[in-house]
Amino acid sequence: MKKIKVTLENIRENIKNFYDEKLWHFITLNGVALEDSKTEIQWIFSKYEAMDNIVVYYAEIQQDDIVPSIVDMIPSAIISQREIVDMFGIKVEGSDKGLYLDADSTQMPLSGCSL
Amino acid sequence: MKQTINIPLGSQHISLLEPVRFKFECENEKIIGVDSDVGFVHRGVERACTTKFKFDAVGYVVARVCGLCAITHSLSYTVAVEKLLDGEVTSKAKYLRILLLELDRIHSHMLCLSHTCENAGFEAMFMQIMGDRELIMEIQELLTGNRVQFDFISIGGVNRDLSSENAKLILEKLKLVREKVLSYMDEFTSNWSLSLKFKGVGVLTLDEAYRFNAIGPLARASGLKIDVRNEIDYLPFNEIGYEMQTHTDGDINARNILRLREILNSIDMCENVINGLPDGEIFTKIKGKPKGESIVRFEAPRGELMYYIKGNGKPILERVRIKTPTFACIPAFSHIFVGQDYADAPAILASFDPCLSCTAK
Repeated sequence: MKKIKVTLENIRENIKNFYDEKLWHFITLNGVALEDSKTEIQWIFSKYEAMDNIVVYYAEIQQDDIVPSIVDMIPSAIISQREIVDMFGIKVEGSDKGLYLDADSTQMPLSGCSL
Repeated sequence: MKQTINIPLGSQHISLLEPVRFKFECENEKIIGVDSDVGFVHRGVERACTTKFKFDAVGYVVARVCGLCAITHSLSYTVAVEKLLDGEVTSKAKYLRILLLELDRIHSHMLCLSHTCENAGFEAMFMQIMGDRELIMEIQELLTGNRVQFDFISIGGVNRDLSSENAKLILEKLKLVREKVLSYMDEFTSNWSLSLKFKGVGVLTLDEAYRFNAIGPLARASGLKIDVRNEIDYLPFNEIGYEMQTHTDGDINARNILRLREILNSIDMCENVINGLPDGEIFTKIKGKPKGESIVRFEAPRGELMYYIKGNGKPILERVRIKTPTFACIPAFSHIFVGQDYADAPAILASFDPCLSCTAK
């Protein structure tokens, strides 16, 4: 697993330069609660037909940061963007709350704020 | 201006025994827009794994995520932990893990094919496949002691050995299953209800499969060569005769035929595992507590299953992330429906083989 640190300002540019849909498979978006109510957001990719070749772009964010959407580049990312909005209570551009929780729920089950 | 109507499919629907709802915007019979809702039964398994259970019990918790691919879940988690603990299991344990993994695939594919028959109005075939599927359930019971929840995989190996009497019985049952599956292949290629009716319906092209990151039989039926068994070396799939199956048509019929071919390949693999089972122990003691991050993927019956775990050297993990195949394919599902007739929607949905138990983990 190769991890590459990015910021919210340059994640879109990084993925735009990296992602070729015929070479790389987008697995999912992941969140990991960190200390001080921070969250690590991970964009996870694997290479088609390559042995265990996984690349993870990651950024540390504060609870009130807005994560840029990558749905215009990777349409399938919408479902995992909506999942981390629900589970971590963070904001992702263009991704509404309400996939698993009620749209007006104040819960954020996996956020560092609630652990 | 044309008038459109909204028609819901689910969350309770006669053609689908899972709590998912698709809301179709239709213009006459054509679907022109789709909205999906998959969040009816979310169970909070990921949070439970990092708050209620120690890492060595989590493998048994995640097996409860899904009754159909319980082995794939517990195996993915277990291998992720073993990677962090630098643990190596014996060849015999690896072979037995493959055996259960492929049996999961066989009975899950048979379930999907039976539902496809049901949606085609072919009730007799539905009953026949469900009846024949019992043979696989019996094999699983012989191997693990249970028909559904197995608790067969543990950190360091597997919990039960295969006796020579059971090996002989299993080979006999697998031979019978192969004959049954070959007869299904005839039906699915020659019977109008199961072949022509489903040709050109619910098509996902290769380009769309790439664009929507399709996985599993859905992707391979469109010609996309993605199968995690081809991209990992935790288990020796190539030693025991794994061959990637693909199709090019991308429609319901292609998905059915692909699943039948995969069942036949899985039967080959199971037979090769039993005939070539190495000697040795089935369990190795692995000590320590997980520290660091690990990502492990396995090919579940519906496609790529991913586990991410993060440990800090304590008994309770910091994070367990489960990415299930159906969840990842929801955007592709929604895309495929657009342009199709509403009347075909139940059959298209059944051909996706969705698992909402996995999705709402």
